[in-house]
Amino acid sequence: MSLRRLLPSAGLLAFTAYAALIYLFLYLPIAVIALFAFDSRAISGLPLAGFTTQWFAAAFADPALAGSMATSARLAAASALLATALAMPAAMVLAWFPLRWKSAVLALMLGPVVLPPLVLGLGLVMLARAAPGMIGEPAIIIAHATMTSSYAALMLYSRLLGFRRSYIEAAMDLGATEWVVFREIVLPLTAPALVAVFLLAFTDAFGEFIVAWFVAGFTKTLPIVIWTSLRQVISPKINAVSTLIIAATLLLSVASQLWILRQAGRARES
Amino acid sequence: MSAPGPAARRARRLAAAGLAPLLLWQCLFFLVPVGILAVISVWSMENYRLTPDLTLANYTAALGNAAVWRSLLLSVRTALFVTVACGLLAYPIAYFIARKVGRRLRLVLLVAVVAPFWISIVMRIAAWRILLGEHGVINQFLVGTGLIEAPLGILLYSPLSTMIGLVYAYLPLYVLPLYAAIDRIEQSWIDAAKDLNAGPLRAFWEVTLPLSLPGLVVGAVFCFIFGLGEFVTPALLGGGKQLLLSQIIQDQFQRRQDWPGGAAIAMVLMAMVMGLLAVSMRWLRRASGERP
Repeated sequence: MSLRRLLPSAGLLAFTAYAALIYLFLYLPIAVIALFAFDSRAISGLPLAGFTTQWFAAAFADPALAGSMATSARLAAASALLATALAMPAAMVLAWFPLRWKSAVLALMLGPVVLPPLVLGLGLVMLARAAPGMIGEPAIIIAHATMTSSYAALMLYSRLLGFRRSYIEAAMDLGATEWVVFREIVLPLTAPALVAVFLLAFTDAFGEFIVAWFVAGFTKTLPIVIWTSLRQVISPKINAVSTLIIAATLLLSVASQLWILRQAGRARES
Repeated sequence: MSAPGPAARRARRLAAAGLAPLLLWQCLFFLVPVGILAVISVWSMENYRLTPDLTLANYTAALGNAAVWRSLLLSVRTALFVTVACGLLAYPIAYFIARKVGRRLRLVLLVAVVAPFWISIVMRIAAWRILLGEHGVINQFLVGTGLIEAPLGILLYSPLSTMIGLVYAYLPLYVLPLYAAIDRIEQSWIDAAKDLNAGPLRAFWEVTLPLSLPGLVVGAVFCFIFGLGEFVTPALLGGGKQLLLSQIIQDQFQRRQDWPGGAAIAMVLMAMVMGLLAVSMRWLRRASGERP
């Protein structure tokens, strides 16, 4: 084989090797956490001492850890539901109605995405001084709904731009009201997008730390408990919990992203 | 101008009803809190009590404080380094995914890059602590294989570990816009360059790279903005000897209880973020408008 024929494959080989290194970098920390979650040593480190699942049992037997997981799941579900419910009608209006202030509204939606979370957290603490009852669970839900509803609206908006409006027009011509059109046509066709957005918002809210930490009061979410434990030697119980949550996070984000990207690809083809 | 018909009026009412909840929510819980911080930044502290005022003293105090300047410069330098590092690391990966693999594998690889972005930041940092610590996995591995004699202390609680944590956090974020930009480039344009006798490097330099510039800029802007305001990673991996701007702000609020002072620095940070965003948006709009 001549050198010329060999060259492109050498280039491809270099690319593949480089890609392997990057994926190693991205997944090494995750692999390490999972590895030590199943290792019997009480202080994570090499060499491995032996396989065990005791840390998972210990984590669920620890009331502080198990309780914080339940709290995080409950608050994240509430804020993700709220964010999706706020974002969907706004996204429909942005995508389908002629608006004079559209770019201003879109810019406002981008605000919570780019604002340093530290600044938002401090601002909410100041706001809570006017309404001290807010501190704790309500403030955490509010903070996360603020952060996630903005990009939820932007994501749904870009999804709805590709929606076939002829379906809506046909239904309206046949005498359907807006509500019937929404329930019978828009909702079924956009349900997967809504689920994907909900899952991303849930994942984000579940793992968010800073803003929750500022407004939490005595409420302990899982990231707050982990942050507190990071001041000491990391317990393998934390590794066990993290392994479970990371596995769930990867699964959820892969599922929702695969769906979004596949939809985008299909929209481009049609 | 004729009066709007009932249908148009109804559409306008529907539009208002759909937008109102989200807009009100964002006004109340995003604009108002930021506004309160802006107001507090011109108030003063008297006898440890927040007092309404209209003074620029907090700003002049912040900008006259050498520690604030040091942390500001360190934040900018850190964000710049992270942006450049992420860009350099992300480009080949985005190129590889967009140009070198088949359609089905492409989707899987792209999702695999982005997925770690959604893992909770405290868990990611716990993992890096296990990896980078003095008795951490990397040190034990390096000593065990005889590559180094004694564990490296610089790996954890140093600017280096902050950078590693930040690059890890924002690499996925940079790959996405780059991938989108490179994916949009028509193969025929690159082929045309090659037909005109350009080598692969020249074709890349004169066709692929300029056409992927918007993706590079979008990625850089978000990477830089997020890096500038980052708090958790430097707080837990940086060791606390050199404070970043966000840490100074938190310190003013929580330890010193100097809310106006902290609010003023927070406003400076926010002005930098928004200014950068406005400039880059204008650039992007012009860049995309100029394209035929």
